[in-house]
Amino acid sequence: MSFPGEAEAPPLLDAQGLVREFAGIAAVDGVDVSLPSGGFLVVFGPNGAGKTSLLRMLGGGLRPTRGEVWLGGERIEAGSPRGRERVGVLSHQTFLYGHLTARENLRFYGRLFGLSDLDRRLQHRLGEVGLLERADDLASTFSRGMRQRLGLARTLLHDPDLVLLDEPYTGLDPHAATVLRTVLETLRDGRRTVILVTHNLTQGLELADRVAIQARGRFAWEGRSTDVQARDFEGFYRETVDRIEGLR
Amino acid sequence: MKLYLAQLWAVAWKDLVIEFRSRERVGAMAGFTVLVGVLFNYAIDPTLVRPEDIASGLVWLTIVFAGTLGLGRTFELEAQDGAFQGVLMTPVPRDALFLGKVLSNYVILLALVLIVLGVFGLFFSLDWGNSLGALVGALALGTLGFVAVGTLFSAVSSGTAMGGALLPILLFPLLVPVVIYGTSVTGRLLAGRPFAEVEGQLRILGAFALVALAVGAGLFRYVVEE
Amino acid sequence: MKSHAAAEAAGSGIRWLAVGMTMLGLALMLLLHWQVFFWVNTESTMGVVQRIFYIHVPAAWVGVYLAFGTVALCSAAYLWLGDERVDMAAVAVAEGGMVFTTIVLLTGPLWGKLAWGTYWTWDPRLTSTLLLWFIYLGYFIVRGSTENPERGRRFAAVVGIVGALDLPLIHLSVTWFRSLHPQPVVLKPERPTLDPDMLMTLMTGLLAFTVLFLGLVAFRYGLERSRWNLELRTRRAAAS
Repeated sequence: MSFPGEAEAPPLLDAQGLVREFAGIAAVDGVDVSLPSGGFLVVFGPNGAGKTSLLRMLGGGLRPTRGEVWLGGERIEAGSPRGRERVGVLSHQTFLYGHLTARENLRFYGRLFGLSDLDRRLQHRLGEVGLLERADDLASTFSRGMRQRLGLARTLLHDPDLVLLDEPYTGLDPHAATVLRTVLETLRDGRRTVILVTHNLTQGLELADRVAIQARGRFAWEGRSTDVQARDFEGFYRETVDRIEGLR
Repeated sequence: MKLYLAQLWAVAWKDLVIEFRSRERVGAMAGFTVLVGVLFNYAIDPTLVRPEDIASGLVWLTIVFAGTLGLGRTFELEAQDGAFQGVLMTPVPRDALFLGKVLSNYVILLALVLIVLGVFGLFFSLDWGNSLGALVGALALGTLGFVAVGTLFSAVSSGTAMGGALLPILLFPLLVPVVIYGTSVTGRLLAGRPFAEVEGQLRILGAFALVALAVGAGLFRYVVEE
Repeated sequence: MKSHAAAEAAGSGIRWLAVGMTMLGLALMLLLHWQVFFWVNTESTMGVVQRIFYIHVPAAWVGVYLAFGTVALCSAAYLWLGDERVDMAAVAVAEGGMVFTTIVLLTGPLWGKLAWGTYWTWDPRLTSTLLLWFIYLGYFIVRGSTENPERGRRFAAVVGIVGALDLPLIHLSVTWFRSLHPQPVVLKPERPTLDPDMLMTLMTGLLAFTVLFLGLVAFRYGLERSRWNLELRTRRAAAS
């Protein structure tokens, strides 16, 4: 994925030719991702396009059938704990323990990451997602929206360089969605690299500086958000997807 | 090193807190023990066999059966909300993760050992006598090896379609040495035999535990990888 | 195209090896049976029944020691290197091993019944073999019951390694237990002094079983290779 006319900043995230097969079927069929530090990529695509598999490979949670993932000069490999402290992942699964309180959940992950000054960080993140008053309640008592917010706090707890978000808006109430949106805005600080997968075209376009449409395991289209006219994008998206899907 | 131990402890502590709050596994194992005790009572003809004579065997078998039941759940609690995937995405070394799990399982199984001794002592009027300390020590040593192998294979069975039901088939053949040497030690201690007689067997149990921990720690990464 | 030709060549090479070994093995088996039934002397203490020894012991040697040891080594190599072919060897050997272990478990009690009147006396060797049979069973079950086949292969490798490490201790503990509680021992393969003819027959047996085993393993390995190649080709065809 290279953007013409872009200044040659070394990519923070570099993955070429990613392929993932499940029982002979390629869920991801040759995707290149190259993002500099501070890049915010939003990936749109229909169900079954392989977006989740792509994200999982980039986060080291799934071994690519072909291709490698490099983050700031370090290889991210499934099965190896190396480089994990630089990646934060939020998916439909929140990775939370119901029998632990919000604070205990975060503290657990904080300890696994070996974070110093843990209590202060916990407070900061809990405050950021608006869960300070419920910090000492069991996660099992949380609504879906609250769980997602806590999951977001967990994702950012260790200040990762690469943040991967897999359809985080799914099933969120408006309040939680607003909180999510606010936090995502703060991620556009130029220090972090973010990849967001979402169905929500409007929200996605507002945040993105790079956009990709994934269908049938490949990037059917990629470009900068400045190339995209938000009004026409929906039509363009539908057209692109139909074209790819119609090929079978 | 300090980070390693902190991570190990974080994993163990998390499991113990969850177990303390849910009381799922200890509860199931305790209930199992009591009911098995009842069944044993009716299954053994007291006019033909005195419970003291087979106490050692009954205790070990109950620990193995109830323990396998409890160990089978080790990774089930992680499955909700995909929690284990989240843990695997942290930089925690896989062997630290394994040892942390073994530690929490061990604490839980030691609780089971005490429950079994208590329940069977009550049901069969068994006097554990002055050798109680040595007895518990021997049981603790055997249980350590049991937990090490059981935790590794619990991860394996949780990854199959059969789940925890597969664990006995995988585990029981491997536990034969533990049962043989373990029952021998406890039997002799209960009969008041001198410690020197059981020393060799205790050493074997200890060696088994050490090797099981080392091998488990080494192989765990191949088991949890997706 | 070149890799296809190489694969074909390797495949047919294995097939020739498999055919050759199996035929040799069968020939040796015929020789063995002739020796067992017509040539070798009857052993003095146990009588005619003892002849089963020439089947039982080689089967044990192959199924238990040779096979399972190889499975463990291949499993360790597979986990370390990640080379699928090593795992294919492991499963081929494991299948053969299980078959021969089953032969041991069938001939052992038979011998016991005919010689001593009881089928099962907790003889240490047989008991260890029975437990090994279950370890093999576990190996195949975990292999087949995972969603992701690669994970199943890794699980099986772990079972193989741990099983092989534990088996000597199992045998030790079972033997030790028997030493405390003596019962009639069925199998004492080394004890009866073997005259040259008997030794020769035993050697034939060992050779016959080993060669036949290798032949069967080669066939199985070839089969696994073919299956793998077919899978690979199907996938590539579907992708293009």
